[in-house]
Amino acid sequence: MVILETEDIVAGYGSGPDILKGISLQVEAGKTYCIIGPNGAGKSTYLKVISGLLPSRKGRITFKGADLTGWRTDQILRKGICLVPSDRSLFPDMTVRENLRMGGYVLSDQKQIDQRIAEVCEIFPILGERHAQQAKTLSGGQQQQLAIGRALVLRPELIMLDEPSLGLAPKISKQIFDSIEILKRAGMTVIIVEQNARMGLEAADWGVVLDLGKNSFIAEAQKVLQDERIQELYLGKKH
Amino acid sequence: MTQISQIIILGLSLGGVFALMSSGMTLIFGVMRIVNLAHAAFIVMAAYIAYWAFKLLGMDPILSIVITIPVMYLFGLLVYRVLFAKLIDNPRFVELTVLITFALSLVIEGLLSYFFTGIYRSTTPRYATDTLNFGPFYFPEGQFYATVVSIILLVGLWALLRYTRLGYAIRATTQNRTAAKTVGVNVHQISMITFGLGTALAGASGSLVSFLFTFFPAKHMEWVTIILALIVLGGMGSLIGSLVGSFLLSALAAYVSFNFGPTWSPITFYLALFLILLFRPQGLFGKKMELQ
Amino acid sequence: MSDQIISISPVSAEPVSPDTKKSRGRIIFLAILFLSLLLFPLTQAIFGGMNYWLHLMLYTFMYISMASSWNILGGYTGYVSLGHNVFFAAGAYLAGILLVYQGISPFLITPVAGLLALAIGLIVGLITLRTSGSAFIISTVALILLASIVMDKWELAGGANGLSLPLMGLKMATAKIPFYYAFLILAALTIFMSYRIRHSKFGLGLRAISQDETKAEVAGVPTHIYKVLAFAISGIFVGMAGALWVYYLTYLRPGLFLSIGIATHMVLMTLIGGKGTVAGPVIGAAIFIATNEFFVAQLGSSELNIVATGIMMILVLMFFPDGVIGTLKNRNRLPRFLDWE
Repeated sequence: MVILETEDIVAGYGSGPDILKGISLQVEAGKTYCIIGPNGAGKSTYLKVISGLLPSRKGRITFKGADLTGWRTDQILRKGICLVPSDRSLFPDMTVRENLRMGGYVLSDQKQIDQRIAEVCEIFPILGERHAQQAKTLSGGQQQQLAIGRALVLRPELIMLDEPSLGLAPKISKQIFDSIEILKRAGMTVIIVEQNARMGLEAADWGVVLDLGKNSFIAEAQKVLQDERIQELYLGKKH
Repeated sequence: MTQISQIIILGLSLGGVFALMSSGMTLIFGVMRIVNLAHAAFIVMAAYIAYWAFKLLGMDPILSIVITIPVMYLFGLLVYRVLFAKLIDNPRFVELTVLITFALSLVIEGLLSYFFTGIYRSTTPRYATDTLNFGPFYFPEGQFYATVVSIILLVGLWALLRYTRLGYAIRATTQNRTAAKTVGVNVHQISMITFGLGTALAGASGSLVSFLFTFFPAKHMEWVTIILALIVLGGMGSLIGSLVGSFLLSALAAYVSFNFGPTWSPITFYLALFLILLFRPQGLFGKKMELQ
Repeated sequence: MSDQIISISPVSAEPVSPDTKKSRGRIIFLAILFLSLLLFPLTQAIFGGMNYWLHLMLYTFMYISMASSWNILGGYTGYVSLGHNVFFAAGAYLAGILLVYQGISPFLITPVAGLLALAIGLIVGLITLRTSGSAFIISTVALILLASIVMDKWELAGGANGLSLPLMGLKMATAKIPFYYAFLILAALTIFMSYRIRHSKFGLGLRAISQDETKAEVAGVPTHIYKVLAFAISGIFVGMAGALWVYYLTYLRPGLFLSIGIATHMVLMTLIGGKGTVAGPVIGAAIFIATNEFFVAQLGSSELNIVATGIMMILVLMFFPDGVIGTLKNRNRLPRFLDWE
């Protein structure tokens, strides 16, 4: 069942050129997608458009049957889509707990938010331990967990992670991807943008290759991993 | 010894009022990185409102806060809407807003001058000239009340920021504007509300200042530099910083005033501003004044 | 003349390029303009009754000079100074005091005032240019306020009340004429210097700084030295204007020279005309003074003047940040005689 459909998305920043030149993608519910591609291909831009942070210049976004094109971020959040940006976008002087509270900003019931925070702390125990610490004092891996945890407060149906392994040591990245497994098992639809193509594709059901603003290749993740061209271009293997 | 303590008490009592005066500007800077050079002009505006309420309605200036806060809040919303709302995505935003707010302060000064002339004014409630005695120390009564009111308002501001949903949104936008957008904060709306809030604080300050100092339309230049000195010392964008800065500098100014004469005390602030900008532009607690 | 024959004939060796035609037309226009300005005071000497216009013209020349100077720091380099009349005051005080106590004519002092301004600019610049952006703007405001308090207390210069200067001893009819020429020369010199800087390596470096200071630094531009130089140079002619103006006014008072209105005028005129261009401050000064005179004639009172100034500044900043010259240039509609780049 298709949960998200983006048709022919064209987008760019300010008055600059088009970064996205017509992306069409159908995302099935409960599956995990990994988007890979060279720098500047528009991967992060794509996620920003879906989450409402960047308006699209052309095209349509449909989610669970509703047309989301042009919606504000808070409306999109309430519909069930969350973004975990590549810079984590935490509030440095707020505590872990306050950051999580901000995750639930669009909700009005404080009790509900508190309960969700408790659930998130079960998935990421370290957040419960350090709940009174300021976010800027956390390590890279912990900050990533907080960023994901914050998105989870809304119990999204679709969660998008922009470069979750960015700046993290391999061991920590693995931990993060383990937690992504938990999300998958809970039935969430996941879209990951990853520079670490191998790690991303191994965690995904489907692989999407984005290049120069267009999607050039979609296939099952394993097939993408084993494709010779992909291996040469993104995985560094010489044939 | 008592003399020094007395000076310090006099200084600290003004510190509370200065802290209130600067809090609005700090708030606005924190959320939008706007250095509002018209902030003191807003204070003068409100002082005139308090003055006319006193003269025409016999209203006690401290009570006039009930008028100045809402009036200035709405005025702030209007100013934001007309001047800044469209500009917020302009790459030269910081430079433009400094000049625009400067020009705005001139417009306000000119209008006040035109309607009310340059006569020195102040409200004269009974307590403006009385003193309270606490043991060996004396406290000008007006300043005492003004300090108490300032502290109450500042505590209220703190509570708003710490415990309400709006407060969270304001803090979030101050700390990381993009992150705030990501979690669904309507940063444009928050910016506008914060500008209104900051201007409302200027309004309250105006009511208090109306009986603490004599004022006239051009007085805002002097006050804006004083406020800037306080904020820059404390650190732009940090409310705690502006609080600390206010108390420190007012104590210092009181000392200077006592030993060299009252006309020298503004120099304390100007010199302090100049020196801090040179040697430690981020002040004690704050961020550098550039757009992040 | 012979060139034109060549350009018509199809067997010509080299046609006259449109650029040469353009710059020749421009030079002819400017020469005619300058000549008429030179000859103008003669109408006063011969016919009389032109004193108001003489005053207006020399006032305009003064501001053309000051705005063009300010432009070097504010337009070319991108550092907005709201306290630039510190130089104005320095020149005025130097000339005023020397005239009152030593009897030296300000016409002689003027170049010295320029040097004083240069020195002050270097010293102050070295200090204040450690900040940038909004911090710099605020520090210039603090500077002006500091200066006004100090000047208020300086007994030698009469403190807040100032000094009266002796008159020149010329007849009413011709008293303004020497000042007219002095300011005209000053304006011409400033414009010339502004043009030369624009077309120099120094000017290129300044423009790089105004676009992106870090990149300029990385590209090898000695940003700190250049900024300080720009600050100092931008003060020279302002200082000289101050020396001349105090003599013209015959009165020295801190309020006259250190009022923030003068700095605002410099900024506004440059903004209106187009900062960062050579012709911008000139056009801006002319436009501003003309509209100001119009408003004064209609409305009279001076308080509404700063309201008008402030509103004009806001409108220009919001809708025409590139000024007249800049906006025309962007739309490719800049008339040849205004393009002095």
